[in-house]
Amino acid sequence: MRRDRYAERIKTASLKDKRLVSIGRYLIVLCLLSFVHSPVWAQSNLTYELRVGATGEVRLLKEFPESCEGEKVNISIGPLTLLDRSAVRPLALPDTLDFIFTSLEGRPGEVSVFDSIYSYVDESGMQWTVWRNQKEPKNRSQRVLVANAYKTFEQYVVTNTAAAKRSRGWIWFVFAGMLLAAGATYACTVIVQRRREKKLSSVEQETLRRKRMGLRRHYGSQLYLWVLLIVLYAPIALIAVFSFTKSKILGNWTGFSFELYANLFTGKADAGLNSAIWYTVVIALVAAVCSTILGTLAAIGIYNMRARQRKIVSFLNSVPMINPDIITGISLFLLFVALHFSQGLATVCIAHVVFCTPYVVLSVLPRLSRMNPNTYEAALDLGATPAQALRMVMLPELWPGMLSGFVLALTLSVDDFGVTFFTKGSGGLETLSTFIYSDARKGGLTPELRPLFTIILLVMLAVLIYINIRNNKQKNE
Amino acid sequence: MSKVLQIFSSRRTWAWPYVLFMALFVVLPLILVGVYAFTDIDGHFTIRNFTKFFTHSEAIQTFLYSVMIAVFNTAICLLIGYPAAYIMAQEDFKTPKVMAMLFILPMWINFLLRTVATVELFNMLGLPLGEGALLFGLCYDYLPFMIYPIYNTLQKMDNSLVEAAQDLGANRWTCFWKVIVPLSMPGVYSGIVMVFMPTVSTFAIAELLTHNNIKLFGSLIQDYITTTDLLNYGAVLSLVLLIIIGLTSFFGDHDAKEEGGELV
Repeated sequence: MRRDRYAERIKTASLKDKRLVSIGRYLIVLCLLSFVHSPVWAQSNLTYELRVGATGEVRLLKEFPESCEGEKVNISIGPLTLLDRSAVRPLALPDTLDFIFTSLEGRPGEVSVFDSIYSYVDESGMQWTVWRNQKEPKNRSQRVLVANAYKTFEQYVVTNTAAAKRSRGWIWFVFAGMLLAAGATYACTVIVQRRREKKLSSVEQETLRRKRMGLRRHYGSQLYLWVLLIVLYAPIALIAVFSFTKSKILGNWTGFSFELYANLFTGKADAGLNSAIWYTVVIALVAAVCSTILGTLAAIGIYNMRARQRKIVSFLNSVPMINPDIITGISLFLLFVALHFSQGLATVCIAHVVFCTPYVVLSVLPRLSRMNPNTYEAALDLGATPAQALRMVMLPELWPGMLSGFVLALTLSVDDFGVTFFTKGSGGLETLSTFIYSDARKGGLTPELRPLFTIILLVMLAVLIYINIRNNKQKNE
Repeated sequence: MSKVLQIFSSRRTWAWPYVLFMALFVVLPLILVGVYAFTDIDGHFTIRNFTKFFTHSEAIQTFLYSVMIAVFNTAICLLIGYPAAYIMAQEDFKTPKVMAMLFILPMWINFLLRTVATVELFNMLGLPLGEGALLFGLCYDYLPFMIYPIYNTLQKMDNSLVEAAQDLGANRWTCFWKVIVPLSMPGVYSGIVMVFMPTVSTFAIAELLTHNNIKLFGSLIQDYITTTDLLNYGAVLSLVLLIIIGLTSFFGDHDAKEEGGELV
């Protein structure tokens, strides 16, 4: 009885004041939200941020305003030092080099103005050219400079515009104030807790101290996991957050907007993206349906085989799973080349069936071993045809395995890049992943990919949570 | 017609279409890689492709570099992933299921998108793209594949063994090294296989993460195989990769598949 009372008191004492804690949490969330939504992120005057990358390519870090499209802008870049990789000697370049943008597309990463960014002739009369993001120069007589040491970050103010400068100062005050408030609430909770603890007996205090020590050890490992998760999710979160602004470049917050989502669903997005989405869906469905049918039949067959045959077929089944994408892709590519197959939608579908089916087989097999093997024979004995027996006896039992195989095949197909890349041919067929690849190589990401990515993320999260809940339920039963 | 039905009334034969399909689209293509490696453009037998590989310093260097990067990446993933899996598998840990799920979730998102996101993050933070970015990106992409199998084996581990070791006087450290680590080795092996194999054969990721500055073996193969005249040489490079993969999967044996099959 007395022990219960102790326990009760310890419990209440160790609980921080819940109201205070929750107020503190709300405040922190609020100040984070206001910070994200603040004009700090918005661009208020026209600054062009250029970065000269390691290969000499120029990337615009902020958007060019629409009004500047088509204008000629001279931007001079400060003193640069270039290192010639072959000679390993620093080359001093002229103080200013003029970048002349003949067309401003307003989209960063696509300043495809010229192939060579600049060229100059040194004292000995040798011509040096820096090429933009190219593997090899077109003309081998010109030496290629690979810039190793650069001023990597430069900012240029080109013009003043009538764009009203928004005051940024107040938001920092709000931010600091909220942070202070959060800190104050936390301090309050600690003080309240200490006071309560003082009222306890020494034995109770000792128990509490021990409990806290145990918790603290726990905190260390939990902190590790959370830090890992934060790092793991930082890039994902970045894309998800910036799907809610209509800025063309990631990292430039121009206010909250659903425009990208609207574009995605009304088909206003890039035509290439739209067709890529459709092809992805079609290919995934075809591959999943085919591999589910093929895989289920194969699983039934394998299950009824003798041990040796079974071993051989199981090994065959595991080959596409062991093979990395690139090997599967290349070997199929060589097959289609050798057979003079023209590559396109059909070859991609076949390739997807190849690497999806083994997983279907693996998800149906356990179901078969759980089932009574004699029911099928019994159905045949009672006069059912094999097709009837399959439909009315086997399928109801195998259904869950087939479904999970189907879903797995769908996700594998949507996710695939390597195999698709080698089997899609050159007819302009793009799935989502190959589209992302070519898009990323051009520099920059089509903005509508961001909402698409966010939606995929949420769907995946929902599916995983659903599976988890279902598994838990089954376990409890 | 009835004859056909007769054949398919035995359920063993139901696997035939699949076996045929696999023979045509899995076995034959793999044989073709070998055939192409040993022939020239006109289809005559030659071993010149192989001699070219062994005297082609760029290819050899790229190959060694890729293997090195893969080894590094696997080591980093193991160093980061093992503690995470261990912590999650602890019995007194709060909400392990949700945590494990959160670690697996990124695996289901297209790895190219994740890579592009990493590139954008580096750009936004003003960090340079290069070898560091490459290692970060690879580790970021493949860490879940390391954590999950280890977590699985640790969770299935019989906890009474640990308790027995403690009863017999082992301290935490000895208990960890002598009992827990050896018991979790199957998971570690399959984790290593699941990280090493895709890393060594990776292509596309390296180009995006390093602005085309660093080329891995996968990209090299891609370059050659898509060039019509050099297709046979590309086949040789693929064969080399295939051998590496074969060796690795031999090392990992069946564990990888057992663990990998339970990802859903």
